[in-house]
Amino acid sequence: MPQTQKLSELVNEIDATLRNRFDGRTFWIKAEITDVKKYIDKRWCFLKFIEKSGSAITTEIKAVFWANSYIHIQNFEKETQQTFASGLEITCNVRVRFHKRFGLDLEVLEIDFAYAIGKLELERKQILERLLKENPSIKLLESGNYSTNNNRAILPTVIQTIALITAPNSDGQRDFNKVIEKNKYGYAFVAHSFLTQVQGDNASQLIIEQLKLIEASKTKFDIIVIVRGGGSDIDFKSFNDYELAKCIALFPVPILTGIGHDRNTSIADLMARQHKTPTEVASFILDTNYNFEYNILLLKQKLSQRIKELIEGAKDDLKHYKQRVKNLNPTTILKKGFAIIYSDDKIVIDPKNIKNNAEVKTLLQNEMIYSKVSKIEKNEKLDL
Amino acid sequence: MKNLTYKKAFSDLEKLVDQIEDDEIQLDTLADKVKQANELIKFCETNLRSIEKDVEVAMGEGKKGRKKG
Repeated sequence: MPQTQKLSELVNEIDATLRNRFDGRTFWIKAEITDVKKYIDKRWCFLKFIEKSGSAITTEIKAVFWANSYIHIQNFEKETQQTFASGLEITCNVRVRFHKRFGLDLEVLEIDFAYAIGKLELERKQILERLLKENPSIKLLESGNYSTNNNRAILPTVIQTIALITAPNSDGQRDFNKVIEKNKYGYAFVAHSFLTQVQGDNASQLIIEQLKLIEASKTKFDIIVIVRGGGSDIDFKSFNDYELAKCIALFPVPILTGIGHDRNTSIADLMARQHKTPTEVASFILDTNYNFEYNILLLKQKLSQRIKELIEGAKDDLKHYKQRVKNLNPTTILKKGFAIIYSDDKIVIDPKNIKNNAEVKTLLQNEMIYSKVSKIEKNEKLDL
Repeated sequence: MKNLTYKKAFSDLEKLVDQIEDDEIQLDTLADKVKQANELIKFCETNLRSIEKDVEVAMGEGKKGRKKG
């Protein structure tokens, strides 16, 4: 019978050996994470680090975040705008631990999210480069913005029919509809909701499917709005997807995004018309319509002013001519004491035609005087 | 004057006034021209009032203008 020892003796020896080798030391490692289980209330997180050769896992070890280092997960999510979840590759500082009952694992002390950000930036850069390379209609402008078929498509002067892509019962949907439905101008909109998941692994594909539904719809939409609400949402992955970005860039109906983040601009935003939040998209739509109405009101005012000027001008001209006619009216002349002399029912212009004793009629303002000419002599007194 | 436009009436009036103001005008034709001129003035005034009223209605400024729906 072989010589045996107690389990605890062997495990104690392993423990001692490991302590001897690893106590007081920490290590920076780079590895993919999987089987991530977060216990938010306790601020614990259990996971596994793995290393692959092709698709086969060649190395695997359990790991844990305890409450005192859980803050690093939150910071990572805040800084990189991605969920700390299986599939990520992270760089982190770890300590080797051995527990006589629970075995060997790595305790994560810190995450280097600069690495994660760098990796995300690189991926983003690669996707943008691919979009430019494979789609000649997408152009990078000097300003750093992207010009696409979609954001070059002219917005309607008045927006009335809206296709809204959003998650069901989401803050984004509520915020957008609140502004649109109760607008102070009383504008009426036809808004059709296309409900889908907007974050998570399949989200980009699901959004593409909604865009296809919109394209196939009998309703002719003026614009498409993609909103996602809540500032705390951090998963931008779906909005940085190549296929979704391409679909947006080539889509014929103008797309306005309000995917709810102040700091970050997703690739989807770059291909469309970006607004920070659902509320801002809705306000932009109202402003667009108000601008139209304002211009109409301004034109009406100008028109009204011009018509007034024209009519007043015409009235003045008419008044002026009326006065001139009045001044030359024989009645006006008669009122001033002048008289018209008729002889043989003809106005006497040349007195040579009147002889002595001829019967003449003198027309005054209100009377006609019949008389006989007794004398005609040259007028030498009245010098006008 | 049925088919007379404001523009035509006013232009006729201008010509008439020029003729009336001509020193060479004969007194017996003057009265006739003045009568014609006054008719044109009356036509223009009526026409202008009607245009003004029509415009007010069209611009929604008239007393019986369309109320906002």
